[in-house]
Amino acid sequence: MSEREKTYVEDVNRSIYDIRNEEKDVYRIQKGLTPAIVEEISAKKNDPAWMANFRLQSLQIYNEMEVPDWGPSIEGLNMEDIVTYVKPNTHMSAKWSEVPEDIKDTFEKLGIPQAERKSLAGVGAQYDSELVYHNVREEVAAQGVVYTDMESALNGEYADMVRKHFMKLVPPRDHKFAALHGAVWSGGSFVYVPPGVSVTIPLQSYFRLNAPGAGQFEHTLIIVDEGAYLHFIEGCSAPKYNVANLHAGCVELFVGKNAKLRYSTIENWSKNMYNLNTKRALVEEGGTIEWVSGSFGSHVSYLYPMSVLNGKGARAEFTGITFAGAGQNLDTGTKVVHNAPETTSYINTKSISKDGGISTFRSSVVVKNSAAKSKSAVSCQSLMLDDKSRSDTIPAMDIRTQDADIGHEAKIGRISDEAVFYLMSRGISEEDARAMIVSGFADNVSKELPLEYAVEMNNLIRLEMKGSIG
Amino acid sequence: MEKEYNMTINRLPAKTWNWLRMNETQLEKIEVPTAGGVKVSLPEKITTVENEGSQPWNADFAGIPSGMGEDMDGLLTAAGVKAQHYEVSEETTEAQPLLLDYTYVQNSLQAGAVAVRARKNSEITVIQDFASDRETSGQAAVSTRLHLEEGAKIRLIQIQRLGNGFTFMNDIGALCEEKASLEVIQLILGGKNTYLGCKTTLQGRESSLNADTAYIVGGDGRLDMNYVAVHEGKKTQSNMQAGGVLRDHAFKLYRGTIDFKWGAKGAVGNEKEDVLLLSNDVVNQTIPLILCAEEDVEGNHGATIGKLDDELLLYLESRGMNREQIYEMMAMAKVDAVCRKIPDAATRAKVQEFLGRAGEEEEAEE
Repeated sequence: MSEREKTYVEDVNRSIYDIRNEEKDVYRIQKGLTPAIVEEISAKKNDPAWMANFRLQSLQIYNEMEVPDWGPSIEGLNMEDIVTYVKPNTHMSAKWSEVPEDIKDTFEKLGIPQAERKSLAGVGAQYDSELVYHNVREEVAAQGVVYTDMESALNGEYADMVRKHFMKLVPPRDHKFAALHGAVWSGGSFVYVPPGVSVTIPLQSYFRLNAPGAGQFEHTLIIVDEGAYLHFIEGCSAPKYNVANLHAGCVELFVGKNAKLRYSTIENWSKNMYNLNTKRALVEEGGTIEWVSGSFGSHVSYLYPMSVLNGKGARAEFTGITFAGAGQNLDTGTKVVHNAPETTSYINTKSISKDGGISTFRSSVVVKNSAAKSKSAVSCQSLMLDDKSRSDTIPAMDIRTQDADIGHEAKIGRISDEAVFYLMSRGISEEDARAMIVSGFADNVSKELPLEYAVEMNNLIRLEMKGSIG
Repeated sequence: MEKEYNMTINRLPAKTWNWLRMNETQLEKIEVPTAGGVKVSLPEKITTVENEGSQPWNADFAGIPSGMGEDMDGLLTAAGVKAQHYEVSEETTEAQPLLLDYTYVQNSLQAGAVAVRARKNSEITVIQDFASDRETSGQAAVSTRLHLEEGAKIRLIQIQRLGNGFTFMNDIGALCEEKASLEVIQLILGGKNTYLGCKTTLQGRESSLNADTAYIVGGDGRLDMNYVAVHEGKKTQSNMQAGGVLRDHAFKLYRGTIDFKWGAKGAVGNEKEDVLLLSNDVVNQTIPLILCAEEDVEGNHGATIGKLDDELLLYLESRGMNREQIYEMMAMAKVDAVCRKIPDAATRAKVQEFLGRAGEEEEAEE
C-alpha cells in the first residue's frame, strides 16, 4: 500500500490583505516608549488633562509589570523597535470621497464601503493610529444612537460618559499590555445605544495597520443601555512585513439591564503581528453578551474576551474558532465571572492546527459565592491536521457556591475515519468527505455570523482538500 | 540539617493565568521530618532489594518523574529517607498484596519512600494504608515509585484515614514499559491538608493507566492534587477519574493532564471529574488539561461540578428521603463506587469503619 497522503488544507489566502501602501507624508512618532513619547501622543491628540495624566500613570504601571510567564513567547517583540503612533496625512471624514485615494482603495478591496451600503448601520475605518472615516446612518442616529470615534467622544458631548467608563473595566493594572494600551491608545470607536433602542442592522469598525514596525492601540467603548440591542462587528487586517507589528487594543462593553450586545470579530492580522488584545464585557441584570470570534491571523495571539455577569439572570455566550497555520502560535479562549444569581454562560470553541501551527484554548469559569443557581457549559474541540502541529486545551474552573450546575467537555483528535467511512457509504468520494468534515467543523461558528461575514470567513479559511486518505 | 523547608509542588505541565492560583502550590516552612517506619506484610513472592546509595532512590528509580515534583525528593533527602525497594520476579503473579501500613500518632513528623519494580509479565497488588486516630495532628510524607516492565501489572491501592489535624504529602511516580498496566485506586477520607501528586509515564507501546480517586473533604480541609498521564508510546491508554464531595469550608484543587507526546500514535486519553458541593462555603477548583503534539490521538475530558440533578433529587424525594439524606447517600455512593474496586476485604472493612459504617458491607453482602 502506498504511503497515505495527508489531508491538505490550504493556508488562508492573504493576497487581499497583503496590499501595502507607500507611506506618504505620514507622521511617525519616534520608536520606543518613554514619558516624552507618551506626552507627545497626548499633545497630538489634544487630550484633556486627566487623560494626559492617565497615560503617564499607565506607562509607569507598564514599566512595573512583568511580561506574562504563562503564554506563547513574545521575545520577538521589542518595544524599543515599535512605533506607537502613526498618523496618516488626512482627517476623519464621513464621506469616502474625502478619504485619500490609496487608503480608500485599500478599504474598497477589503469590501468595507460595499458592506456599509448593503448591510451596515454605520462604519468606522481606522488606518494605522487614526480613524479616516466614520459614519452612521441618519435613521440610526435619529434614534439617539451615538457612533463616533473615541477622540471626538472624549472631547465632546459625551466626555463625562467616556471618563466614567474609560479603562474602568480593563484597568491598566490588569496586565502589562493593558497598561501599554492606557499609555499610548489612539483611535477606536465609541457607541452609545439609548434605553429601549434596537439597532437592527450591525455597526462595524475596521482596523487596518499599514505601517511596518508600528503598533495599533485602538480603544472601543460600547454602552448598550437598558433594554437596548446592538450587533457590533470588528474586523482587522494588515499586510505582512519582516519586522514585528503590535496590536494591543482594548474593548470595553457595558451591557445594561435586559440589554443585549452581540460582538463579532474576524481577526486576520498578518503573520508578523503580536496580537495582545483585551476585551471585556460587564453585563447587568437580565442582560446578554454574545461573542463571536474568529482568529486566523497573527504570529502570536493572546486573546480571551471576558464576560463579567454582574446582575441576576445575566448571560454570556462565546462562540469561537481559531485556525493556526505555519509560524503561528495562537493562544485564545475566554473568561467568565459569574458574580450574581441565576447567571448562565455557554462556551463553544473549535480550533484547527496545521503545518506546525500551535493552537491553545485557554479559559476560566469563575462562579462566585454570590452566584447561586448559576449554570455554565463549556465545550471545546480541537482538530489536528498533521503531526507537526500542536494543540493544547487549558480550561480552569473555580466554583464557590453549592447551588451551581457546571459542565465541561473537551475533545481533541484528528478527522474521524468512521465519519469518512459513513459519508463514503453514501456515495461521496473520500476527498470530498474529508473536505466536508473539516468545513463542517468550522461551520458552527460561521453560521453565527451575518451572511456576508460568514462568506468572508469561508474565503479566509479556503479549505482546499487534497488527497484521499488522512 | 535545615529544620524548615520550602517546596513548590504539583506544578501544572502548562501554566495558565497566575491569578487563578492553580499553576503550582507553594508550601513554606515545612518542618523537615525524620525517616519513619512502616509495618510491612511481605508476600512470599515479593523480594526486598538493597538500597545501594545515600540517595532516597536506587539509580533506576531516581529518574522516574513524580506528580508532586522534584521538591518532594528534596524533602526526602533532607529527612534522610532511603526508600524501601521491592521486586516481583518475571512471569510471577503474586495473589497476596504487599501491605504497607503507615500508622501515625499525635504530632508525628515522618517521611517514607517505597519503590516497586514489577519484572516482565509479573503482577502484584500494593496496598498502602495511611492511618491515625481521628483527633490526631501531625505531618507525614510518603513517596512511591513504580517501574512496570513489559507486560507487568501493578494495582496500587491507597487509603487515607488520617486524623483531622494531619498534613499529608502523597507522591507517586510510575514508568510503564510495553503493554504494562497500572491501576491506581485512592480513597482520601481523612486528614486536614492533603497534597497528592501522581505522574505516570506511558513509555512503552500499549501501556495503560487507570486511576480512580474518591475523596471526602470537610471542615477547613484542603486537598491539592496533580495527576499527569504522559503518553509517549504508541497506542497507550489512560483513564483518570476523580470524584468526591466537599463539605463545610473545604478547598479542593484538581489538576489533571493528558499529555500526548509526538509519536504517541493511536493513543487515547480520558479524564473525568465529578464533584458534589455540599456547602456554600466550599472552594472547588478544577483544571483538566489536554496537551497534544500528535495528530493520531484521541483525548477527552469532562467535568461536572455542583449540585445533584433536579430530576434525580425529585425522584429520591418522592421515595421519602429528605435532601440531607439524599446528599449523604450520594456522597457515600461516590466512595463506595471506588471502594468496591479494592480486592482486599480487610481493607474495604477499614474504609467502612473509618466512615462509621462498620459491618455494613457484610450486611449488604448477606
